[in-house]
Amino acid sequence: MGGLTRKKLWSIVALGAMIGLLLLPTIMLLPTIMSLPALAGGGGAPAAGGPPPDVAKPADAAAGKDAGPKVEKGRDVYYKTEGIVTGAPAPKTADNSQFYPRYNFESRVLLWFANQQHLYYGSFVLAVPIFCMIIEFMGIVSKDRAMAKKYDQLAYDFIKISLTAYSLTAILGGILIFTFLTLYPAFFGYLSSIFRPVMHVYALMFVAESGTIYIYYYGWDKMKEGLLKWIHVSMSVVLNVIGTVLMMLANSWIGFMMSPAGVDEQGRYLGNIWHVIHTALWNPLNVHRILGNMAFGGGVVAAYAAYRFLASKTDEERAHYDWMGYIAMAIGVAFLIPLPFAGYWLMREVYAYRQQMGITLMGGLLAWLFIIQATMIGILFLSSNYYLWQALGRMRGAEKYQRYIKYMVFVLVVGFLIFITPHTIVMTPAELKAMGGQQHPVLGNYGVMSAKNGGINVIITTTVLTFIWYMRGNKLSTVSWAKFGNIFMGVFFACAYVNIIWLAIYGYYIPANVRVGLSVPQVATTLSCLFFMTALNGVMMRGAKQMGPIEWGKISVRSQYALIMLATAFTWMMGLMGYIRSSVRLFWHVNEIMRDNSPWAYTHTTGFAANMISFNVLFFWVTILFVFWLGTLGVKKAPVEAKVPIPGRAPEPAVGH
Amino acid sequence: MIVTNPLFWFALLVIGVVIFAVILKKQELLNNTYVAVAVSLLIAVAYFHLVDHYLMDMQGLDYWYLFRK
Repeated sequence: MGGLTRKKLWSIVALGAMIGLLLLPTIMLLPTIMSLPALAGGGGAPAAGGPPPDVAKPADAAAGKDAGPKVEKGRDVYYKTEGIVTGAPAPKTADNSQFYPRYNFESRVLLWFANQQHLYYGSFVLAVPIFCMIIEFMGIVSKDRAMAKKYDQLAYDFIKISLTAYSLTAILGGILIFTFLTLYPAFFGYLSSIFRPVMHVYALMFVAESGTIYIYYYGWDKMKEGLLKWIHVSMSVVLNVIGTVLMMLANSWIGFMMSPAGVDEQGRYLGNIWHVIHTALWNPLNVHRILGNMAFGGGVVAAYAAYRFLASKTDEERAHYDWMGYIAMAIGVAFLIPLPFAGYWLMREVYAYRQQMGITLMGGLLAWLFIIQATMIGILFLSSNYYLWQALGRMRGAEKYQRYIKYMVFVLVVGFLIFITPHTIVMTPAELKAMGGQQHPVLGNYGVMSAKNGGINVIITTTVLTFIWYMRGNKLSTVSWAKFGNIFMGVFFACAYVNIIWLAIYGYYIPANVRVGLSVPQVATTLSCLFFMTALNGVMMRGAKQMGPIEWGKISVRSQYALIMLATAFTWMMGLMGYIRSSVRLFWHVNEIMRDNSPWAYTHTTGFAANMISFNVLFFWVTILFVFWLGTLGVKKAPVEAKVPIPGRAPEPAVGH
Repeated sequence: MIVTNPLFWFALLVIGVVIFAVILKKQELLNNTYVAVAVSLLIAVAYFHLVDHYLMDMQGLDYWYLFRK
């Protein structure tokens, strides 16, 4: 009784401390919020073309008879509103050591490395707590006590990996700041001056995140039952809210660098921090990054599980890590599926913001990198499908799907080949002459967006189909309308494929301004399959007859290499996309505001960029392996006790906490 | 010639759903392959036409552009 009360007391104290940590930045933010012109004056969004009332008021007063010192006003480069100039102009740098100190090495490459490593770890530690939240919640609501325990153990395993990586993220963040300060002092000084009103908020949010994650981790055992467990899972919600806000704040910096707002054409801050944060690309970046982080985090955890699976000595361990790898892969792929659509939205907004920027990305200087990106996306989906096909092998009753796999391979490969076909290729004059032009007479037709949208949607729809087959692998529907349900599902998928391919072909026959809209119904078709068919499958499989248990651990070793491949491809693609997004600014630190006058303000060759990305990927994986190894040091052996195997379930986890 | 009026496709979708609701009560019809394929086709084809039409319309574009010319 006393013990329980003490536990409750400590949990409530911990929760109080956590809420305090959460509220601290909000309190610290109050002066900033109050100083926002729009909020302080009670005004809404400023009307385009004229100053907002709250900005105009002090300006009017300044223009009056008894005006004090003259107030200078500037016009927002993006929002086109007027505001009082409250910052210095962006520095005009020159190619000298005052603005760009030299260390006998290309500064940009050093910064690239520091930034990329911080981003990898940052993404990982932001994604994993979201997994923990989902899995811990699944454990709480699960009626099966054995499964609830397994979910709880899995969530704990995840957060344990994340915690070690968290320290490394902080260290890499420090290294990144020092790299900025040392190599790009003028640029970093300017960026800091613009974001000064929220810099302390970022720091405090980081403190709150650290506090919450430590309480969350160390409070696991003490808060494992009843109300305390609910408090514990609520803590993960708080943790993820903080993490997401942190990520969004960091995104506002890159959003500002690509599509600046809240400053005038000289780069002078106009006093509205919300305009600076809420740039044209901020929201698409937020959505794209959170999905990307989740997919990446899932990939890394799946690779961890694969590594542990391959190193396992017992069947029990193999079963646990097989299951862990599957869950991580499923979460990762669940976020991978909408990721291309979020990317499409981001690109659309880039085009809307500056058409030239979009052309540089997808039709100009960086277009070849997008071909590499398409290849990586294809590899991700092929690896996911391959893993699931292998996973069918651990289910009795799933043999009936095996014979269809070859057709799915065909569809995936055709979609993939179309998706990666370039519009034009680099050729010698002789090759150009032999081919009769820049485009191949047949394959050239596949190098346009109409075909590529069709290709990727076919790939994603096939992945959805694979997932549905996996979900029903060892089950037999017992609902009275099972036959109708199966036929409906087959017809719906067939019609979806026809619609996607039809829209792709239709695009060749209509003008570009109409064609561009066809991608939306194509995406909707794929998402219809994802949502409706998954839901239908769920209803059909309720109370389904089990053909046999899922034999966790009895999966080919190749499947685990597929998981490692998946994670490596995620990592490589993240590095690539980061490079593309950053390179599109060309010779600007802040697009059209602050010019990069360093000797490194040029675009690297594709080969150099690929080598650099590969180095970053290799470095990340070597260090994360070290993190994994550290994670194994603290593992205690599970107590030896009688364990009753449950048919159809994986054995209990081999590790305790 | 294809019907470009979305109301036609909406009507087809409704008919498909109504037929499904009717055959849901008659087991022998529900599990008849031909009936199941016909009803499924009716629903799926009508649904995807509506998706194509309305999602283009929402962007201010005409899905039936080629057919109206």
